[in-house]
Amino acid sequence: MKHTRAAIVAGTCLMLAGVPVLAHHAFQAEFDANRPVTLRGTVTKMEWINPHAWIHIEVKEPDGKITPWMIEAGTPNTLYRRGFTKESLAPGVVIVVQGYQAKNGSNHANGRDVTLPDGRTLFMGSSGTGAPGDKPEKKPGG
Amino acid sequence: MGMNRLLVLALAVALTASAQTQSSQSPSQSQSAYRGPRTPGGKPDLNGIWQAMNTANWDIQAHSAAPGRIVALGAQDAMPAGLGVVEGGPLPYLPEALAKKKENFENRLTADPELKCFMPGVPRAMYQPFPFQIVQSTTGILMVYEFAEAVRTINMGKPTQSPGDTWMGWSNGRWDGDTLVIDVTSQNDQTWFDRVGDFHSDALHVVERFVPVSSGIIQYEATITDPKTFSRPWKMSMPLYRHVEKNAQLLEFKCVEFAEELVYGSLRRKSEQ
Amino acid sequence: MTSQSVARLAAGAFVAVGVCLVPLRLPAQAPAQAPGAAAPSTARPAAPKPRPAGEKGAARGWTVPRTPDGKPDLQGLWTNATVTPLERPDGAKEFATAEELAALEKRGNRDEQAKADAERGTPAASTETPAAPARRNGIGDYNAIWWELGKKALENSRSSIITGPSGKLPHTPETVQRLAANREYERLHPADGPEFRDNIERCLAWITSGPPMLPTFYNNTYKIYQTPKTVAILVEMIHDVRLIHLDGSAHSSPAVRQWMGDSRGHWEGDTLVVETVNINSKRGYIGGGGGRSGIAPNNDKMKVTERFTRTAADTIMYQFTVENPGIYTGPWSGEIPMKATDEPLYEYACHEGNYAMHDILSGARADEAAAAKGKEKK
Repeated sequence: MKHTRAAIVAGTCLMLAGVPVLAHHAFQAEFDANRPVTLRGTVTKMEWINPHAWIHIEVKEPDGKITPWMIEAGTPNTLYRRGFTKESLAPGVVIVVQGYQAKNGSNHANGRDVTLPDGRTLFMGSSGTGAPGDKPEKKPGG
Repeated sequence: MGMNRLLVLALAVALTASAQTQSSQSPSQSQSAYRGPRTPGGKPDLNGIWQAMNTANWDIQAHSAAPGRIVALGAQDAMPAGLGVVEGGPLPYLPEALAKKKENFENRLTADPELKCFMPGVPRAMYQPFPFQIVQSTTGILMVYEFAEAVRTINMGKPTQSPGDTWMGWSNGRWDGDTLVIDVTSQNDQTWFDRVGDFHSDALHVVERFVPVSSGIIQYEATITDPKTFSRPWKMSMPLYRHVEKNAQLLEFKCVEFAEELVYGSLRRKSEQ
Repeated sequence: MTSQSVARLAAGAFVAVGVCLVPLRLPAQAPAQAPGAAAPSTARPAAPKPRPAGEKGAARGWTVPRTPDGKPDLQGLWTNATVTPLERPDGAKEFATAEELAALEKRGNRDEQAKADAERGTPAASTETPAAPARRNGIGDYNAIWWELGKKALENSRSSIITGPSGKLPHTPETVQRLAANREYERLHPADGPEFRDNIERCLAWITSGPPMLPTFYNNTYKIYQTPKTVAILVEMIHDVRLIHLDGSAHSSPAVRQWMGDSRGHWEGDTLVVETVNINSKRGYIGGGGGRSGIAPNNDKMKVTERFTRTAADTIMYQFTVENPGIYTGPWSGEIPMKATDEPLYEYACHEGNYAMHDILSGARADEAAAAKGKEKK
């Protein structure tokens, strides 16, 4: 069922009100609305850290030059609870990132939409990332 | 009835005397004759507020007193002497690791993660100069450290595995008689053992033993295994002392705020508009 | 409000959220709210009522489990994740109908959110070119996979966490004025230094530890340890531990102010009653706009009373009352049936990996430098 934008806004209004007005991690302050980026790169490593996990990728430019980027993601704790581990995103996996570049001009971007080349959202769904050596979803002990 | 009571008393006195003799002999006794209060589950009750009393946080090895790093702080910043908490000879660093330790030492005024109020990892959390609290209940053991409000949960059930590396590691505990044994894995490679740059890799494996030797003392030892840093395992040991003030409680030392200027000061806006 | 200030206050919503900020601040009704009662409100007979403490649950033969010293056992892993908001939406009744709850849960459902994400457009399957035009509005936030609001409305069928006739935070008129002035100040000084950002961006404190303990976007997990002398609540965000002293001792000196105050608890029947005072002013106050400690400080008069009652195998009824003269017109109360979870609590080290703060501050400096050079960046 397609959600209208109004419904989404109303929904998020209710959700937001559930969290007293906190300037949660104002992405607006970190990233630049005038610098959208679409990056296709190869994962070199992922930092499974808080408050944000960071996915390191290497992007090959048209001229063959390799540019490293760091993609900001969310808290790994939610992924751990969904069965992923630090082995889940192996170096060598190719991902596509739609986001915005950091205001400070560095090669940081927020990973608003991160997908595998076939369009599947990274970490969404129960079948893992589909990357080589990927483990099926299981819950780590705690 | 009177004779039985006398017998019980004599036994108690003998046991106490024996425990005191034991605790003054060998510091690395893995079992002790002391029998203190028990939990309802029959295990030694380690609940309470504890603190190490040594200079290991400065330097875990034997060291002379030394000048401080900041002139204006004079004697306040100077390092006290210490006999060290490491058993046996010098730390068995691999050659490349020893060079890294020296580099850490040169850079300790900026590189020590403690300066930035980063969580200290295990075992450093056990001997920083701050109290910590052991909460031991039917559901497991929680160790809360006043420094940076660092904390770790000790799983006392079937051992489990961590999905990723953390600052305080992943602790699986069990009882070996009256000794609490904790196996700590999955620490990241970012913490130090002390202020002089003793460090480890992410292969660090710590096995701790907590032996209650009197009502006020737990004898603590930690065996360190890290094949990427050291050529063999080594051990440290020290007493942990109970805080006996009537109103003893852990207070907050949420030092992130105190380290903000250090970490972000250079990014501050320079002039008012 | 400019879109910038709106966005700055946005709590990571999917789209523009300015409209959401409006209802949170009107104290017009100034209700006389009594402190929260021990028993859950029973105003709506049809709502599923949490069972009063001590009674047998609907489950055949359930009695409250007890620790060895005979007290109700509060231990285990719990979550307060919910899609129910803190404040009652304008026009909503105190209790929602079953249909309203179903609609709320559908909107809050993570998988539904994911579908919405997908419906905004699929990225090109392959592109070698780094730069491409943005295909959505707003810089956005987290994709659905990172959220953990839970799928459920509160089990008590309320339309808000706050109980009572108005269901709103009862700010005084002075507080309302101060909040408006704060927003203006924040607009002019968005990132002069770390203390100009909120407590969560600084990795100082989240609302999940409180007290009162309120849910947030994710990691709403609590682990409770209980001994005769201490209840320790490990809060996932930011590895806070609330130490509640049960030994009957008095509060510690008011000269010692703490982010989580000083908590002393005692049992009233099968309910643990916890009183917390000595909360520092840096903590800010609920509805204070994010706890920028220099801008919206608390006033050292805050007191929180909480009640924990194990009402079912999988439920702790959590009730609280906040008193803060000068900030609010009177005490206000809330209620969250906390649910058992088997999903583990993981370490949330925050400051140690806070690249984001670095980027926020350096980004602001870059903006200023560009503006100073006369280049148009916005």
